[in-house]
Amino acid sequence: MSPEFIVAIVAAIVLVATPILLAGLGELVVEKSGVLNLGVEGMMLIGAVTGFAATATWGNPYLGVIAAAVAGAAASMIFGFLTLTLSANQVATGLALTIFGGGFSALAGKPFLGKTVPAFVQLFPDALALHPIWRVVFGYSPVVYFSLFMCVAIAWFLKRTRAGLILRAVGENDQSAHAIGYSVIGVRYMAVAFGGAMAGIAGSMFSMVMTPIWAEGLTAGRGWIALALVVFASWRPFRLLAGAYVFGAVMTLEVHAKAAGGIFSALPPEMWAALPYLATLLVLVLISLRRSAASSAPACLGRPFIPTA
Amino acid sequence: MTMPTRRTILKGGVALAAMPALSGLAFGQEKLKVGFAYLAVPGDYGWTYAHDVGANDLAAALGDKVEVTKVENVGEAGPNVERVLRELAQQGNKLIFATTFGHMEAAVKVSAEFPDVIFEHCTGFMTGPNLGTYNARFYEGRAVLGTIAGHMSKKGVAGYIASFPIPEVVMGMNAFLIAARQVNPNFVLKAAYISTWFDPAKEAAQAQAFIDQGVDFLTQHTDSPAPVELCERLGIPCFGQASDMAAFGPEQCLTSIVDNWGPHYIKTAEAVLAGTWTPQQPWDGLKDGGLIMTPYNKNVPADVAAAADVVKNGQIDGSYHVFTGPLELTNPADASLNISIADGVVPDDGVLLGMQAYAAGVEVIA
Amino acid sequence: MQLRLEKRPEPSRVLLYGAPVLAVLLTMVVGAILFSLLGYDGVGSVLEIFTRPLTNPLKWQDLGVKAAPLIIIGVGLSIAYRANVWNIGAEGQYVAGALGGTAVVLLTMNMEGPWILPVMIVGGILGGMALAAIPAFLKTQLNVNEILTTLMLNYAIVQLLYYLLRSPWKDPMAFGFPRTKMFTADQSLPYLWSGTIMTWGVPIALLVAVAAWFLIGRTVFGFQVRTVGSAPNAARHGGFSAKQTVWLALLASGGLAGLAGVLEAAGPFRQLVPAFPTGYGFTAIIVAFLGRLNPLGVVIAGIVLAISYVGGEIAQTTMGLPSAATGIFQGMLLFFLLAGDVFVRYRLRVVSARPAGGTA
Repeated sequence: MSPEFIVAIVAAIVLVATPILLAGLGELVVEKSGVLNLGVEGMMLIGAVTGFAATATWGNPYLGVIAAAVAGAAASMIFGFLTLTLSANQVATGLALTIFGGGFSALAGKPFLGKTVPAFVQLFPDALALHPIWRVVFGYSPVVYFSLFMCVAIAWFLKRTRAGLILRAVGENDQSAHAIGYSVIGVRYMAVAFGGAMAGIAGSMFSMVMTPIWAEGLTAGRGWIALALVVFASWRPFRLLAGAYVFGAVMTLEVHAKAAGGIFSALPPEMWAALPYLATLLVLVLISLRRSAASSAPACLGRPFIPTA
Repeated sequence: MTMPTRRTILKGGVALAAMPALSGLAFGQEKLKVGFAYLAVPGDYGWTYAHDVGANDLAAALGDKVEVTKVENVGEAGPNVERVLRELAQQGNKLIFATTFGHMEAAVKVSAEFPDVIFEHCTGFMTGPNLGTYNARFYEGRAVLGTIAGHMSKKGVAGYIASFPIPEVVMGMNAFLIAARQVNPNFVLKAAYISTWFDPAKEAAQAQAFIDQGVDFLTQHTDSPAPVELCERLGIPCFGQASDMAAFGPEQCLTSIVDNWGPHYIKTAEAVLAGTWTPQQPWDGLKDGGLIMTPYNKNVPADVAAAADVVKNGQIDGSYHVFTGPLELTNPADASLNISIADGVVPDDGVLLGMQAYAAGVEVIA
Repeated sequence: MQLRLEKRPEPSRVLLYGAPVLAVLLTMVVGAILFSLLGYDGVGSVLEIFTRPLTNPLKWQDLGVKAAPLIIIGVGLSIAYRANVWNIGAEGQYVAGALGGTAVVLLTMNMEGPWILPVMIVGGILGGMALAAIPAFLKTQLNVNEILTTLMLNYAIVQLLYYLLRSPWKDPMAFGFPRTKMFTADQSLPYLWSGTIMTWGVPIALLVAVAAWFLIGRTVFGFQVRTVGSAPNAARHGGFSAKQTVWLALLASGGLAGLAGVLEAAGPFRQLVPAFPTGYGFTAIIVAFLGRLNPLGVVIAGIVLAISYVGGEIAQTTMGLPSAATGIFQGMLLFFLLAGDVFVRYRLRVVSARPAGGTA
């Protein structure tokens, strides 16, 4: 394999890994606060259509990404109000958000069907971004660098900041966090909004970077892969980064295996498609066997908080 | 024209027998209500879009005489399809088009329940007294694309993003490769099945993989314009599928095969209005306008355009058929599907519609 | 100023039954306003969606066909959710049921006899149970979160379906299309009467609901499920095993989802195609909640959801409403329902003082 070909494969992996990395990072923060939002797919679709619409309207992809983040956060607030203020069931509300997001994005996107926007693919000058070898470092959309930055930032936030500590405390034991005097609901609102914004940006990757078109159901179920990824990473940001690239490699090798033939094409394509989910199951089992506190699910995950005192 | 049936045993009865003129129809008095069941949404810019254009052509051409109703996202198979076809019939539509292969069983079943409603099913093979089918010879367009690629590809390797290994798709690959080899005998077509008709991100990823593997031409048998858009950015020549995709690739989309259902829809509605409709199985090609090629892009050199026109016009006047023998098609997994066509023989339509074997030079992966 | 929930001493009976009705009404009102603003005939569309399927007798059969699998799966999920076992893998278990039934179909392709259909149904139930047994084992033995395991298995099993249809189970006469052979007459669910589209799946769904209602309300099993779900500590004292309840809850919900799958395959589909999974397993989660985890409520909820699908299609043909509208209506319906749900057990109080301490 030539270096250029390896570069090409790495670039392809980065491209497919970034949206699930972004959405996964957002969901990781949400779950660390003790909330399970299954509406990632719906928020991604809302972000995808909003990012595209904003870019098509204002002509600036940075505004497009910001609009996608705002739209994702706004959608997540429906979920937040129902599950946090009204203590509704999180599983059902998340599913409702996915259904709603699919319908809403399809309707809102009607005027933008069949249009394109300039692809938001490059940050660095051509000499670096299009260099046959160095493009492996410099050849990506600004959103890709943003995802890496956010990974570091979230890891730092959770581990090193007081706010991060509070967030984790709220997710691990909401009653005592409440007793100490933290606003459990307030913290969770912020986490949910952050998760929505990240899912919105992840969605905009599809409509602005990967294929700068809008189509109904554009994200084609990747939101669920992002949910699997969070578990696969056992709620740790850097594992999530690694996991996103592993999942991305699986998805990329699937198409490359078809293009290249050879040993990879011996596996049925369905096996490749199922691999992320099976791997996640395996990780869940491994986590529980090791029973290490640092890498297990937040104790309050999915449980509504109603103060006992 | 009646096509040979594709199955020896047909369910639902293939009674092409004469049937008294369908008495329930109003002869020119009332509006003819025409219903369409769509696989997906017109926004796919592919298969459903093309049917929607056809439906709009019908509404525009016959004006007051027809009233067109469309149902989107009916899906590929199952009870949903039946329910939508029945709903359209109950709403008073007297002519109903079921626009994808997966609607076949439902169309057979519902058409039997509504004998005074005329059904037509796209790309299927089962018919009935009030059920016809229609299809277009897309392979003719593929032969034109293959000719262009054969002339213009420097490496002689093209990528073909395919959906499922069905005859329709296999036929397209073979036509492309055979035409390309008539220009460049060493031409190779790499084909990959991605098990979906519409997933823009996956289609683009497969396109990227082909390009990374070194193909310098790309063509697709999936519906979204994502591969064309990617090719435009990367400077890889490509072709549009189902609708004119030039807007997504002004430089690189050399021409598009446009599914042109409008003429058939208009002709059928007129026949129903006149009371002359009978169940038929038309398979229209370039000659009858079942498909049309968009004008060649400015990047197609004049001599290549001329060569492509020879193939195109040859198929219109009947002097050229891409599957003319000698031809050996093989299926690596099942030799019973192999097809051998003798020198100078043009295979009949039944052979084409059952094609599940590949021409030498088509490299299929997965 | 802040909103705060306060537990009611007794769940409100009025709201228990009033909330779903209110949710449907609110969805209709907000939907009418929303679609009017978008330039459609909002009021007309809402009436088409929510009333036409009921006023047009031709549509009742459609409602039955659409509601039956939702009811069967929803009943199973109600049992699981009452036990606080969060099975969200019904979609996968539904597919596994169809696979189990179809395995029997392919083995009996050249056989005849009335015994085939019952064997298929057993195969379907076992298929659903087998898939649900994985999360049950992981939950009871390793304490793995069942929300996550059941969710993952949904996607894995669909890939198995695609694989089987593309390769070993493919009908060799289908021209390469990924689909099985059509089921024979002995392998298909009979229609209720000639000329109808309703198969025996519809009465079976009602039977399942009534049986489950009896089981939950009148038997020790039901008491165990309810106690473990609502008062785990009391249940331990009462000698009910939490592990056993997890197994029961998952096998019951998985088996019923499997039953729905095999009935759907042997009924309306009569063959297996890649388009078989249509999200019934996810929609049934909504149905279970809308029906307040009560099997009889689930019957009504299943019909309400069926109305939204069937009505959505009617509104497409009569009002030109896009298909996306169905998703919006269903999403809103759930939002309002879930919001209203809370007030059954809690009341909302406006309090002015903030709790001590900071926010974050």
